[in-house]
Amino acid sequence: MFLARIDGTLTSTRRHGTFEAVRFLIARRMDANGCMSGEPLVVLDRMGAGPGTIALVSSDGKLARDWLGPAVPARFTVVGLVDRVHLPGRACGGPS
Amino acid sequence: MRLGIVRGQVTLGLADASLAGTTLLIVDPVTAENLEARNGQGGGRQIVVADRLSPGQGELIAFVEGAEAANAYFPGVAPVDAYCSLVVRDYEFKSPAAGTPPGTEGPR
Repeated sequence: MFLARIDGTLTSTRRHGTFEAVRFLIARRMDANGCMSGEPLVVLDRMGAGPGTIALVSSDGKLARDWLGPAVPARFTVVGLVDRVHLPGRACGGPS
Repeated sequence: MRLGIVRGQVTLGLADASLAGTTLLIVDPVTAENLEARNGQGGGRQIVVADRLSPGQGELIAFVEGAEAANAYFPGVAPVDAYCSLVVRDYEFKSPAAGTPPGTEGPR
């Protein structure tokens, strides 16, 4: 699992049949310094996350399968919304 | 799922039987900078993605990677590790690279 910031939303013209009524969000993974890193990830959400939310994302596909069935071609799922992160050390972009 | 731009297709002369009906797309994964800039550029390392949604050249897709890519063939199996899950209609995306999340407890 990893922390990610929700940075966008997405709609589709065509999608796998298991995705009817699924909300897709675009997230970026946070590294240990609180920096956003890596390529944007499309994540499934049913917890009400939105742009600016810090979310806990699991890369295990089991939740998506339990939710949408065994044929769902997806892994990344929001499994929690973060209230607070205790992150001693330098914050990304902050003073050294 | 990552996002990628469809650049082309691969045709196999000989293929595993489970891939019948599957198209193979050549896809450029899209970086955050390029997604935000909407410049039609990918920027990631090109990969081959199994597909049954038939996106057009230059269209933006989301593809799942890893064992879950084969879920789409359930109850069958297929030797794929990347699968086109959706074709993007539109998106909103704004991603400052740095920033301390609200509620972060840092050093005082």
